[in-house]
This record gives sequence, C-alpha cells and structure tokens, in this order.
Amino acid sequence: MNEKPQYSVMLFKAVSYVLKAEKILKKEGLPHKLIPVPKHISSDCGICLRFEPAMQNKIEAALLNKVEIEDIRALKDQA
Amino acid sequence: MSEVKIVNARGLACPQPVVLAKQAIETNEQVKVIVDDETALENVKRLGSKQGCDVQVEKKNDGTYEINLTRKAGTNEESVALCGEASAASGPFVLVISADTMGRGNDELGYVLIRAFLHTVCLQKEKPDVMIFYNTGVKLTVQGSEVLEDLKQLESEGVQLLVCGTCLNYFEIKDKLAAGTVSNMYDIVETMNRAGRLIVP
Repeated sequence: MNEKPQYSVMLFKAVSYVLKAEKILKKEGLPHKLIPVPKHISSDCGICLRFEPAMQNKIEAALLNKVEIEDIRALKDQA
Repeated sequence: MSEVKIVNARGLACPQPVVLAKQAIETNEQVKVIVDDETALENVKRLGSKQGCDVQVEKKNDGTYEINLTRKAGTNEESVALCGEASAASGPFVLVISADTMGRGNDELGYVLIRAFLHTVCLQKEKPDVMIFYNTGVKLTVQGSEVLEDLKQLESEGVQLLVCGTCLNYFEIKDKLAAGTVSNMYDIVETMNRAGRLIVP
C-alpha cells in the first residue's frame, strides 16, 4: 500500500486548457497522465492531468504564463 | 477449513502470480501468496479484494511480500458473481475498441475521451473478459501509445486483448505491437457472438 506512488492532479477551467497544458508537458518531456477528474473532486465530466508530486515545480514552471491552472489537489489512493 | 494454502509466486512473470492465486483462492478459504515484486503484489491484492477476501500484506526483510487472503464469510457468492467466469453461462463481457477515439465528431476530443475511458476501465472492479481492438483502435496497442500502461495492466489482470491483424497490417505497425495478441476476424466474430455483454464506447 505504501509503495504505491501518490499522485496529485492539476485542474483547469476548460478542456482546451488541459489540451494546451498537455501539449506543453509532452514537448518538455514532463511525465503526466490525462485522467478524468476524480469523483470526489467533481462530478462533472471533467478531464485533468495527474502527475507525481516531485514533478510539480517543473510542471508549474513549464506552464507559467502559458496556461492558467485552476487548482492542484492531492489524490488519495487509486486513480 | 483453517488450513492455509501457500502459493510461492516468487520470480514469476506478470500474469502468473495472479493466475495461481486465483486458482488457490477458489478452492481454499485461506491462501498465503508470496511474491517478490510490487506489480505482482498490487495485482494479487486487487484480485483478493475482487474475490471478496480480507487482504493482509506483510513485507519481509528479504524483499518479498506475503499476502494473506482470507475469504470473508457470506461475501463469497456475491463476489464470485462479480467476476467474469462466474457469469460465463451468459458469455464473456466484451469491450470493443473500434477507434483510437471515443464517440464521433471531433477527433481531438475523442482521443481525450478514449484515454480517460481506458484509465477508468482499469479502476473498475469488474473488468472485461476480452477487449477487441480494430480499425484505428489498434493504434492504442502499439509502442508509443499513451494508454499502453493501462492496457498492460488490464492484460496482467487477466483481460484478453485481441488486436485485429488486418488493421495492424494496414497501418504498418504490426512489428510495434506492445500489448495483446494479433487476432483475426474469425476470433473477433466468434468472441462477439458468444458475448454475454458487449460494450462499444
């Protein structure tokens, strides 16, 4: 249980923001995964980016002034 | 009744620990599975909860894990009914991935949706028995695919992935297949025919 990597998710205002952010992260080679927004965060059919917390600074730096981030939340378990 | 069946799955490659554990828990009340890697650990734990077992893990000093699966009283029938084989009378649960997008209309959006879909399939307790990939769907199963990890995880949990050979051939990516097995129209039609439930996202 403890061995499982803990993830965080980055939330955006709209799907188009997620796509733009994803393009940038892909170009920069920063690991991430596009996943549905977990149910405990929102029941909207939303999309967000999951990443390992260790990468957070790099990811935020890459997106700075390019894509507006709405929120960053820790993911409990699963997802 | 109280005898513990021991399954030594150390050093075994991916589906094997789960397969052995599954066989053991089907005929024993208590099973101790010994594994030496984390993927196997996670997969066996998942199997345990899927089968309605109480799951306890002990990490040993030599880097192995002992996973104790104990069937919970009363949950047995219900949990067995959840998994594929038990409903085999009505045929397997088949998921058809007919494109590398989900839904029709906008491909960029469709590609987002199919990735979110497959991620979510991985989190479901009840997994499909078979997944069939054809047309551009086969692109999801080759090297460089962004859903490869999800597909490999499903495969390691016993989901059979059938990938249309004609389609791999058409896109000239047969040599890049990274998850599932090359299949043909006979297998695909036969699997669809005997499906108890067939979902096309």
